[in-house]
Amino acid sequence: MDPEATRTARDSLELVFHMSNILDTGLDRHTLSILIALCEMGLNPESLAAVVKELRRESPPSSSSPETVATPP
Amino acid sequence: MEDDDQRVVDLVKELVHRLLCTSSQSNSQNPNASSFTPHEYNQALKYSLRILSSRMTPSIAADDSAMAESIKRRLATAGKSSEALTFADLYAKFSHKNGPGSVKNKWAVLYLLKTISEDRKVRKKQFSNRISNGFLDSALAGGLPTLFEGDELSGGSGGFGNSSVGRSTDGFADLKGSSENVRNLRGFSNLENEKNEDSFSGLTANMKKLKVMGDASSSLRAREHVEKRYNGGILVVSKDPENIRDMAYRDFADLIKEENEVTEVILVRDVLYACQGIDGKYVKFDEKADAYVLPDLIKVPRATRIMVRKLCELGWLFRKVKAYITESMDRFPAEDVGTVGQAFCAALQDELSEYYKLLAVLEAQAMNPIPLVSENASSGNYLSLRRLSVWFSEPLVKMRLMAVLVDSCKVLKGGAMAGAIHMHAQHGDPLVNDFMKRLLRRVCSPLFEMVRTWVLEGELEDIFAEFFVLSQPVKAESLWREGYRLHAAMLPSFISQSLAQRILRTGKSINFLRVCCEDRGWADAATEAAAAAGTSTGRGGLGYGKTDALESLVTEAARRIDKHLLDVMYKQYKFKEHCLAIKRYLLLGQGDFVQYLMDIVGPELSEAANTISSFKLAGLLESAIRSSNAQYDDPDILERLRVKMMPHNTGDRGWDVFSLEYDTSVPLNTVFTESVMSRYLRIFNFLWKLRRVEHALIGVWKNMKPNCVTSRFFVKLPHAVKLHLILTSRKCQVLWDEMNHFVSNLQYYIMFEVLEVSWSNLVKELEAAKDLDDLLAAHEKYLYSIIEKSLLGERSQNLNKILFTLFDLILRFRSQADRLYEGINELQSRTTDSSSQDKARLQRPSNKKPSEPGSWLGEGRKDLTRRAGEFLRNMGQDIDAIAKEYSSVFEGFISQLPIQQHVDLKFLMFRLDFTEFYSHLFVLHTCEPILCLVLAYLGFACIVLPLGRPFQFEKCTLLG
Repeated sequence: MDPEATRTARDSLELVFHMSNILDTGLDRHTLSILIALCEMGLNPESLAAVVKELRRESPPSSSSPETVATPP
Repeated sequence: MEDDDQRVVDLVKELVHRLLCTSSQSNSQNPNASSFTPHEYNQALKYSLRILSSRMTPSIAADDSAMAESIKRRLATAGKSSEALTFADLYAKFSHKNGPGSVKNKWAVLYLLKTISEDRKVRKKQFSNRISNGFLDSALAGGLPTLFEGDELSGGSGGFGNSSVGRSTDGFADLKGSSENVRNLRGFSNLENEKNEDSFSGLTANMKKLKVMGDASSSLRAREHVEKRYNGGILVVSKDPENIRDMAYRDFADLIKEENEVTEVILVRDVLYACQGIDGKYVKFDEKADAYVLPDLIKVPRATRIMVRKLCELGWLFRKVKAYITESMDRFPAEDVGTVGQAFCAALQDELSEYYKLLAVLEAQAMNPIPLVSENASSGNYLSLRRLSVWFSEPLVKMRLMAVLVDSCKVLKGGAMAGAIHMHAQHGDPLVNDFMKRLLRRVCSPLFEMVRTWVLEGELEDIFAEFFVLSQPVKAESLWREGYRLHAAMLPSFISQSLAQRILRTGKSINFLRVCCEDRGWADAATEAAAAAGTSTGRGGLGYGKTDALESLVTEAARRIDKHLLDVMYKQYKFKEHCLAIKRYLLLGQGDFVQYLMDIVGPELSEAANTISSFKLAGLLESAIRSSNAQYDDPDILERLRVKMMPHNTGDRGWDVFSLEYDTSVPLNTVFTESVMSRYLRIFNFLWKLRRVEHALIGVWKNMKPNCVTSRFFVKLPHAVKLHLILTSRKCQVLWDEMNHFVSNLQYYIMFEVLEVSWSNLVKELEAAKDLDDLLAAHEKYLYSIIEKSLLGERSQNLNKILFTLFDLILRFRSQADRLYEGINELQSRTTDSSSQDKARLQRPSNKKPSEPGSWLGEGRKDLTRRAGEFLRNMGQDIDAIAKEYSSVFEGFISQLPIQQHVDLKFLMFRLDFTEFYSHLFVLHTCEPILCLVLAYLGFACIVLPLGRPFQFEKCTLLG
């Protein structure tokens, strides 16, 4: 990869990251880069989004449940 | 391919790892401690791979800028306008990144971001108030659409969406492999559609229970086996991880939907496609039905189906219009579509591009939500079928109109096409009216351009024969009369007949000036006219709807150009002078010239026609001109005067074939055409004959007028002869007088009542003439009145024949009278001879034999007297015969004269019968025999039958 392409890629990633922040997706750069790469490989963005959603869905309850459990006592 | 797959799997692994990491990081105090087990990891990985391999399709078409727009709007409606701006900025930069290293599938990335962000937002909302539900969220996010919405809502599934439930490996195994899963579900749904619903309600009931439990002890990760009785058999759905069940439902819903139901979003998209003449996914053009239809296999409510069909009418109309445009454009170089047809196509094309714009906007809007004031209320996509029907109402009206026009104009072209479209424009609806006017302005522009060039430049730029003026290749002299004519079929109805006539005449005038008069001055007149009318002489100054402008332009142009044309005719080509010359020479108005000509050609014309040389006659004509006042006339006019010998038969005299001719050159022979000249010739022949008769009568008078020589001679004659002679010459005198009365009155009538009156009318009308047509009409009227009044017309043929018989009789009388006076002169000379001999004898009586001359003289005198008596008797008889014939023919003439319609002939009658001599005579003549008959019959009736029988009287009156 020539440096030009690398730079473009980095810029693109940066831009996407910014956009992602504005949209408040909560994705970090690394995850984002993986997602972009997958998109580039022709995967359906909708299913990708679904994966992210579903896997995330696992976590919030686990993050929130301690709170909910913690509060009663 | 393999590598790619491997790479994808690797990346997914990485992704799952990252995601699990981040989620666990967020809730564990120790970042290093990995809070997820390999088992969990494996499950998550399998799950995500399954999701990825599922048949989820984005419900909207790939368009990154539209997507960005949609995101921006979402941000803006959420009240984060500054962020929206930043986003737009970032997107602009992002979209400019092209080439190696950049992200190619920008749309996918954006879509991904959008979906995730919406998901996050929804979840945040759920934390704050747990009322929203996941299914609606997913529908909002454009993800999995809602099915069984009511059930889910009643279930308040927000909680269960969030509740984390434990999962079992065997349960997972049951459902692993999406294809298998699908097959199961599909088979089930096909078999038992009815039960389906029941079982689902049961399922949701279970889920409700589950949710309650989940709510109560969500942290416990309770495992639960949900056993369900399906279709007689037992299908065990291990439902510990709520997600899996959720997924199954969603998949199932998807399948059901794909199978036989279509969402409105897709229908909207299909309708939008169909309206561009493209087959959509479901809505396709059916050749048989000749319409866009939704196949019967697809299950949609009847109302939706009807609505789709209604909306797709637009597509059908669009196809029609589009087909017409392509067809005419394809046809164009080969066949004559015509400029108006092309303009029509172009106008339609423009309307269609407007329509395309609308469709593009609608398509872009289709995926955006309806902006609402309240933030919390969620809304569906902007475009529904109902909204679409509202949006389409106006284009539909226009498209219908276009289709109607296309239908009615298929076979038409040019002015006819414009006229047909104009007829459709007569509409009360302002929308339709405006639309048609706009269209017509475009369609008519070539037509108006033609009118403009025709009126101002006289050019007929009409290669496709679309204009309402047709030109025909003709000779210069008939250019005005036959060169151009109106083509009624091509005359659009918004141009009135009179205006069209004026347009035709103006252009014709220009062409006439250019071709026949070789005049260049008309260009100035045209420019002036254009300036006066206020429209620019440049192209495109006129248009449909500006009929007033057109009319004023035509009026101005016509006024100026006609004036110019008349100026040219009068001044340059001396029309009036030529008319006058024709009157003077052909209509014998120049008396001294005619008299002289008659004198010198008379002897020549008495010869047989075939012995006369026209060159000699031309010489005689020349000398007649020289010796009369005609010599002072314009040499150009005199040059045109020629002798013409008409074709003659054997036995014709010179008189019969001689005539004068007036030669007219190019612009003038539009007026003096061949037919006009032949009518002039007829008039000339008539007048020439009249003159000749008059001339003959004058010649007779020269001989017969009493003078002292003759009166002295009469004295010497023997008494009987003298008496006879006086009687005969008296008869002759009386007849001459009668004839002279007739001829001189006729002559007077022709000259003063006919020629001069017509001429003064002509002069008046020429002054008033505004264009060449007026001039032609005036001249035509002039000629017609002369012909009618001089008894040369159709209706007076009979009378004309009688007139010519009278002329012949007069000429016969002339020869008789000549013979008589010749005889008298001979007699006279003989007597003078004999008397001089007498004298000579008396002077020298002894020289000659006294017996012989004496006996000769005695014999001669006797013989002379006898011969003179015989001659005079013969002559008297001849003259009597002529007189009798003359009076009977003349009686016919007089009696037929009042039958003629023409008022002016009354004057002739009045003149001829001034003393009422003839009327008395004829009343006597006509009444006498009838009276006698009636009297005789009455007498007879009285004798034979009893008196007072009424029927007898009837009979009498009948006879009478």
